[in-house]
Amino acid sequence: MRRPKKYEAGEATQYISRRAAIRKLQLSLNDFRRLCILKGVYPREPKHRRRAQKGSSEIKILYHTKDIRFLLHESIVWTLRDYKIFAKKTSRDRAIKDFRNLKRRLALFPEIKLDHIVKERYPTFIDALKDLDDCLTLLFLFSTFPSLHLIPREQSNLCRRLTIEFLHYVIASKSLRKVFISIKGYYFQAEIKGQKVTWIMPHYYPFKPQSRQEVDFKVMSIFVEFYTILQGFTNFRLFHGLNLAYPPQFPSSLLQDNEDTFKDEASFVSDRIAALNFELLRTDKVQEDEEEPDIDMELLEQDGDSKRIIKMKQEAQEVSRLRTLFKGLKFFINREVPREPLVILIRSFGGKVSWDASVFPGATFAENDETITHQIVDRPSLSTQYISRDYIQPQWLFDCVNQRQLLPTNDYFLGETLPPHLSPFVDSKRDSYIPPEEKALHDPSLIETHEQSEEESEEDEAEKEEEEADQELLDAQLQLAYQQETAEYKKYGGPDGVNEDEEDLSEEDDEEDDDEEDVDKEDVDEQTKRKQQEKEKMSVQSGKVHKVNKRQVHKAEVDEHRLQARMVKPRHRNLFRKLIREKQTKEKEEWLLRKKRRNIDADTKEAKKAAKREARKLAAEAAARAAKLVK
Amino acid sequence: MTAMEPGTKKKRISKKNKSAWRKTDIQDVEQFLEDQRQEERIGTFTEKQDEDLFVLDSTPLKAKPTVLSIKQKRKLNAKKPMRTFQPMENTSKVQDPIVKRNHVKQKKNGRNIEMEVCNPTKPRHRQANSDRGQYYVKMEQRLADKKSKKTNFDNDIWQDVDFRDKIPGLKDEKGWISRDLALHIAGNVGKKLVKTHASMHHKTIKGKKFVPPHPGMSYNPALEAHKQLLSEVVEREEGIIKKEQHLKRVTTSMFSKVTPEQRDERRLMELSEGMDEDADAKEEESEQEEDDPNDSSDKAYRTINAAVERDSKKSKQARRKELKQKELQRKTELKKKLKQQTADLIRIKSIRHELDDEAEDLNDLKKRRKQRAEKKKFEPKRLGRHKFEEPDVDVNMPEDLAGNLRNVKPESNLLKDRFHLLQKNNMLPTTVAVTRKKAKVKRFERNSHKDPGTSYQDLADRRRAAAKAAKQTQDTIQI
Repeated sequence: MRRPKKYEAGEATQYISRRAAIRKLQLSLNDFRRLCILKGVYPREPKHRRRAQKGSSEIKILYHTKDIRFLLHESIVWTLRDYKIFAKKTSRDRAIKDFRNLKRRLALFPEIKLDHIVKERYPTFIDALKDLDDCLTLLFLFSTFPSLHLIPREQSNLCRRLTIEFLHYVIASKSLRKVFISIKGYYFQAEIKGQKVTWIMPHYYPFKPQSRQEVDFKVMSIFVEFYTILQGFTNFRLFHGLNLAYPPQFPSSLLQDNEDTFKDEASFVSDRIAALNFELLRTDKVQEDEEEPDIDMELLEQDGDSKRIIKMKQEAQEVSRLRTLFKGLKFFINREVPREPLVILIRSFGGKVSWDASVFPGATFAENDETITHQIVDRPSLSTQYISRDYIQPQWLFDCVNQRQLLPTNDYFLGETLPPHLSPFVDSKRDSYIPPEEKALHDPSLIETHEQSEEESEEDEAEKEEEEADQELLDAQLQLAYQQETAEYKKYGGPDGVNEDEEDLSEEDDEEDDDEEDVDKEDVDEQTKRKQQEKEKMSVQSGKVHKVNKRQVHKAEVDEHRLQARMVKPRHRNLFRKLIREKQTKEKEEWLLRKKRRNIDADTKEAKKAAKREARKLAAEAAARAAKLVK
Repeated sequence: MTAMEPGTKKKRISKKNKSAWRKTDIQDVEQFLEDQRQEERIGTFTEKQDEDLFVLDSTPLKAKPTVLSIKQKRKLNAKKPMRTFQPMENTSKVQDPIVKRNHVKQKKNGRNIEMEVCNPTKPRHRQANSDRGQYYVKMEQRLADKKSKKTNFDNDIWQDVDFRDKIPGLKDEKGWISRDLALHIAGNVGKKLVKTHASMHHKTIKGKKFVPPHPGMSYNPALEAHKQLLSEVVEREEGIIKKEQHLKRVTTSMFSKVTPEQRDERRLMELSEGMDEDADAKEEESEQEEDDPNDSSDKAYRTINAAVERDSKKSKQARRKELKQKELQRKTELKKKLKQQTADLIRIKSIRHELDDEAEDLNDLKKRRKQRAEKKKFEPKRLGRHKFEEPDVDVNMPEDLAGNLRNVKPESNLLKDRFHLLQKNNMLPTTVAVTRKKAKVKRFERNSHKDPGTSYQDLADRRRAAAKAAKQTQDTIQI
C-alpha cells in the first residue's frame, strides 16, 4: 500500500486558495471576484490555518474546494470567458477602424443572465424576502447616484425604477409598520408575508462624492448588479400577489389625453409613477376596498395559552387600526419638506396627499384647497395660513405611525420645539427601566408633573388641583378606554366569546316576547307585573372597593414560581436558573434607577423650595426695609 | 534669354567681334516687326466689331477641380494598379504572335463568399447561410429590445417547475420514467441539474441580520438616549487612545533617543570592541616579559588542558568513604519517602481536595474555551490579511442637533456602512486600499544646465511679485 503523503487528505483538501481557484476556473481575478459575488460564494476561515494552507502560515484568502467545484458547472463562467474574446475582437475592430463590424459586435454583447442564479440562491420566495434588507438599502442608495466611474448610468436608473416599484407595492399592500428618522437616513420597516423587511433611505441631499480609499466601488457595483435582478423578480411576484400589473401602469381613466401626455407618453407615465400618488392598474377588475386580516382570530380560541393569543389579537387589532390611520385626512406637503418619505407614509395609511406642482409632477390638488386638513411645514413661520387646517411639522407623521394612533397635533405645530423622536425599534414594553419622559410619550396619562406651582403658599392647593385634574384626566381616559373596549368587543367579540352570546340571547328573548304579545294578553299582564316586581327589587347599591390582599397575592406568586421551578426538566434547570437570575438583576437595576430618579427629583424639589423660601425672605426683608425708609 | 522681365537691367555685352554680335538678342525686334506685318494683313483691333472679336460662350463653366483630401486621394490611389507591377505590364504595340495561348488561371486565395451566399453549392454553404440569418435576426431583436427598454422581469422564477417539462420525451403521464432515470438522461442530454450543497446557504456569522439603530441616532433624540450614545463613543475612543499609548510606551519610548553623532560614536565603539583590549593585553605581556625574561623559554609550549597531576588521585579510603556516604543518602531518601507515604495516608482528604481543585480548574478552562468559541461565532471571521475592525459609531455632536428635519446634519456614509456590513457578514475579505507608489527616479542635472538660468517658474514668480507691487501702489493713495 502506498504510504499516505502529507496534505493529501483532511483540511488541506477541504480548502483551496484564491490563486489556485482562479487557475482552476481559468478566469482573471476580476472575473473570479464577480463570479463569486454573483453566485454567493464567499471566502471561509479554516479551523487550522496552517493545515488548510499546506503548511504555510501566512494568511491567504481561502475558499471551500466544494464551492469552487460547484462554480465550475456554472454557465456564466462561459459568458465571462466570452467577455475576453469580445474585448479582443472589438479592440481589433476599433484599431483598424472597421466600424461596421464593431457596431455589429457591440449589438451582440454577451450579456450575463442571472435569473437562474437568483432561483438557486433563494430557493423559495421567503428566502429572498429574508435577504431583502441589504438589497433594498443598496438599491435606494444607488438610485441617488449619478453616473460614476465603474457605476454606469443605466444601473442607477434601474435602481431608481425598482425602488419606486417596491414603494408602490408597500403603499398598495399597506405593509409599512415602523419608521424612524435617524442621522443616517430614514429607516422603514415593512411586514411582507410575515417577514420584517427593513431598509434605509438616504436623506435627500445633493450627491456627495464618495472617497475611493475606503469603498471598493467595483465590488459594490457587482453586488448591486445581482440585487437589481433579485429585486426585479421579487417585485414581479409581489405585484402579482396583489393583482397589480407588473411593469406598473395606470388605469386608462386616470390619463387625460392632453397635449403633454401625447408629447412623450413614456416619460409622462414614468413621472407619474415616481410621484407615488396614483393607484395602479389592476389585473383583476374587482376592486377590494377592505381586505380582511388573513388570520381569523376566532379559530385560534380553542388551544394554546391564552396570553399569547390575547397578545396576537391585540397586535392584529393595532395593525388593522394602523392601516386606516390617515383615512379621510388630506395633506399638503410644503416645498421644503422631503416629499418621498412622507408620501409613502401618508399614502400607505390611507391619506390623500399633494404638493406644490412645481416641485414634482403628480400633484393632485393645490395649496388653496379648503378641504386640506393638515399642511406639513418645516419652517419657523408662514405668512399666509388657513384656519381650516393644522400646520404641523413632519415628525408628527412619523410619531403617529410608530404610536399607531393619531397624536394630538399641538406639540407639533409650526415653530414648536418638537418632542424627542424615539426609536420604534426599542421595545416600549421592555422589562428594564423606562424613564418617565418616554413613558409619557406612550401613555400621556402617566405624565409626571414636575413643574410646581409658582407660589409656595398655594402649592398644596395647586397640588390638590393637579390631583383633581389628573383624576379627571384619568377618568376621561378610562371612559375612552372603556368605549374603545366596547367597540372592539362589538367588532371581535369578547375574549371568551361569552358576552356576545348573552346579548344575542337577550335579543332573541325580546323577539319572542313580541310574538307572544299578539297571542295572549293575560301573559302580558303577568309579565308587566313581574317586571314591576323586578324593578322594585332593583336598586343601586354603593359599590365596594375591591381590596387586594397583598400578602395573599405575593404568596400566590411565590407558590406559582415554586411550581414552575419544579416543573422544569432537569436538563433545563441551569437555563431556568440563569433566566431567573437575569430577571432578578434586571429588576434590581430598574429599582435602583427608579430610586436614583426619585432621589434626584426630591433633591431638585427641595432645592426649589429652599430657593423660593430664600427669595421670599429676601423680598420680605426688602419690604420691611422699604417700609422703614418710608417711615 | 527669351523673355526678360521689364524691370531688370540688360547685361552689357561687348560687341567687339562678329561672333559677339551674333549673340545679340534680336527677338523682340523681330516680334515687333512680325506683329506689324500681321496688322497690315488683317487690320487692327479698333477697326474690328465686337462680334468679330468675341464669341458668346454657351457651354457652362466647369466647376473648379475640388481639392481632394488625403483620404480621398488615398482611395483614388487604391484603385490604381500597384506600382510594383508596372514594369510587368505589357506596353508593346506588337501583337502576341501565338494566337491561341493557354491562359494559366491563377488560383484565388480565399473563398468567394459572394458566390457562396448567392448560389450555395455545398451543404456547408447552406448551413452557413441559415446561421447567418439567425445571427441577424438575433441582433435585430436585441437592438429592438434595447430601444424599447423592455424589462426582463417577466416571469415568476419561484414557481415550481419540473425540469422534465423542458426536455421532450421525459414528461410521462404513465410513470414509466423514474426521477433518477430522468436526472441521468438530463445529464447526458446536456441539461445537467446541479445540486447546490447545503453549506452554501449556511450563515457564517451568528446574530441578527438587522441591527436596530441606537435610539440616540435619532435626528431629534431623547436626552438620555443621546447621552448614552455619546458615552459609548467616548468609551470607544478612550479605549483606542489607551491602546495607542500602551503601544507607544512599549515600543517607541522604550528606546532612548540619540543624536546622529552619538550614534556614530557608539557604532565605532561597538565595532572596535576588543581591539584596544588586545593592545592592552599585549602591553601587559610585554611588561611581564620584561619582568622575568627567564621564564620565556619555559612558556614556549603549553597544552590547552591542564596537566594531569598524580597527587590529585583519590585514595582508596576516600573512595570507600564516598561510597558509604552515597549509600547512606539513598537510605535516608527511602525512609523519607516511606514516611511521606504514611503521612499521605493521613492527608488523603486534602489530596482529594487538591485533585478536586485541579479538576475544577480544568473545567473552568474548558468552560472558558467554550465561551470563547461561542463568542467567536458572533464575530466576523478572519478571511484575509487584514482583521475586520468595527467602524466608528455615527453620532451627532450636541451642537449639531438641530431638532428639525430641515437642518439635519447627516452623519454617516451609507455606502461605507454597507461595505463594512458586507465585510462583517463575511461576504468580503477586509481589504485596505493600496495607493501605488510611483517608481523613484533619480534625477541628474545636465552639465549644460548647471549654470543658473531663469526658469519659467522664476519668471512667473517675478511677474506675480511685480503685479502685486503694482496693485499695492494702486491701492494706496499716493500723496
